[in-house]
Amino acid sequence: MNNKAANTARAGTAPVSQKDKEAAKQCLILADKFLKEGDFDRARDEVSKAQKLDPSNPYAYAFLDRIAYFEEQKKKAAPQPAAAPPAHVEPKVPSPPVSESPRPAVKPSSPSPPVAKASPAPAPAPAPSAAKPTPPPKPFSPEPPKTPAPPVQEKKPEPPKEQPKPPPPKPKPESMMEATRPVIADVLAARSKEPKKPSSTPAIADVLEQMSQASAHHAAGAPKGDFDVKLDEMRRQIEMLTKALDQERKVREEMNQQQLKGAIKQLRTAMEKAWVNGVPKDHELVELHDMAVALGIPEDMEQTLNREVKLDMYSRAVKEVVAKQKLLRNSSRTLEWLRKVYKVTMDEYLEYESQFLMDLVADQYKGTILLVSGNEKIARDLGTRLKSGGYAVVNATSPENALEKIEKINPHYILCDMEFSGGSLSGIKFLHVLRANSKFNYIPFILMCETNEMTQLKSSELRPTEGFVEKPIDMDNLNVTMNEKLMAFRQYLSSI
Amino acid sequence: MSKVILLAEDDEDNRDLVQFVLMRSKMDIELVVAENGEEAVKLAKERNPNLILMDMQMPVMDGWTAVPLLKKDDQTKEIPVIAFTAQAKPEDRARTHEIGCVEHYTKPMDPEELLALIQKYLNMQAPA
Repeated sequence: MNNKAANTARAGTAPVSQKDKEAAKQCLILADKFLKEGDFDRARDEVSKAQKLDPSNPYAYAFLDRIAYFEEQKKKAAPQPAAAPPAHVEPKVPSPPVSESPRPAVKPSSPSPPVAKASPAPAPAPAPSAAKPTPPPKPFSPEPPKTPAPPVQEKKPEPPKEQPKPPPPKPKPESMMEATRPVIADVLAARSKEPKKPSSTPAIADVLEQMSQASAHHAAGAPKGDFDVKLDEMRRQIEMLTKALDQERKVREEMNQQQLKGAIKQLRTAMEKAWVNGVPKDHELVELHDMAVALGIPEDMEQTLNREVKLDMYSRAVKEVVAKQKLLRNSSRTLEWLRKVYKVTMDEYLEYESQFLMDLVADQYKGTILLVSGNEKIARDLGTRLKSGGYAVVNATSPENALEKIEKINPHYILCDMEFSGGSLSGIKFLHVLRANSKFNYIPFILMCETNEMTQLKSSELRPTEGFVEKPIDMDNLNVTMNEKLMAFRQYLSSI
Repeated sequence: MSKVILLAEDDEDNRDLVQFVLMRSKMDIELVVAENGEEAVKLAKERNPNLILMDMQMPVMDGWTAVPLLKKDDQTKEIPVIAFTAQAKPEDRARTHEIGCVEHYTKPMDPEELLALIQKYLNMQAPA
């Protein structure tokens, strides 16, 4: 049985609203009621309604199966009560005429067509002499048969001399059990692949086990009333299974969303790398497209992402150029050149102009930073990031070197390493030197420290204008600290 | 095979800007950087660049000293040198030609103009 394919087919149908699902469920409850009353046609009508409302509900087929089975049993019971298996039909209810639309025991498993009352049935009505064994209802199969099921009469005729024994009565719940089995198997398979999630619903395997037990119990000749109770219990459990399936579907949808987000992030990173210096080369564009296909990103999403990245990279280049505009002979000509480098159309430029302008305003000169670091790489990388953030940066390789420069540049902030090689002052000692100088003692001072130096700094007595950030430097964190220290500095100024 | 440009420039922002422009030109160029004239002479011998962009005002050794040294050396005398300077007076221009520079490019920079000049001396075309 290709359950997976069947479920995929179900998944491909149009989504059903929660309201319709609920209405379908109510129809099935009614169908069950009519079934118990022996009113098979009304029961079928309700099932048909349920199928129309929620074609994806797999239990509708199970109900049709049950109805057919009950009906069959009832028909058998009427002419030849002795040979009939113990039918679960209330004796008070008049049985429908035998001639009225006999139902095939085997239901078409295609999910969409509802069973019409007048649908032609290939199987003839069972003859009164049908001591001939009626095939038990076939288990529900969500997979459409490749060839139509052969009509019952086409089956190999039984030799007349042989008085066939009635087949062992098939336990009624089994058809329902079989109906849910493909779904259950699918859910169990999905669960085995996915990380187990806590759920308030009972384990599906447990329910299956209970249903097996119930069916075994009934087969062993449990009283009818007890069986009804068990059926009700199973119905309740099936409802819970439906909920569990809904939950599983939601989890899968969430996982798909997460996967898509991850794929987009991966593609975006690759695109940013390719677009950093302008339009990528042809082979890079082909590689990016191949990557998007491999990651399962739809083409329209890929194009949108490509446009976003292009404009983002252009915007960054513009900001970089604007930061160096003093070195440029003509800013507008340079910006025009960049527009060509990134193949940004005039429309795109105009669309994003307000964003650029906002960025440019934000990037105006924010102040001068004296960056004291013996590590050339840190000084260069951090310096570049600070400059693109709108700061003027003056580098000093040691506290001594910083002391030579500080008077000339009169910085707004000092960023300083904790330790320096070659017998230089440490960052803390440099801070103490500055504290002793009335001209510099309240300049916001931020120490850049390693994780293991944090404790020492946390326990030291730093003034409100002094602080520290952990390496590697997180720019957002640094900006927050700088703003905080600047506020403290302003408060100090207003207090004097 | 990529062409090599030696940039002798003491100002970090200017170096960054030249690099910024060259990277976005998409020309197959390797940029070698020297922070003063002395380094430039040393790197010119080591790397044998196709073109030198020489700032004339630098610490340790300025361009006015470095270019004659390059022009005296058989190994480096054929390398075209573009004077890359803020000095725009006609006498400065004449003087750079006197010491052997092929061009006198006045800062501040214009990306397209600089790229055109580089393409001219490297005999290269910018990719479409």
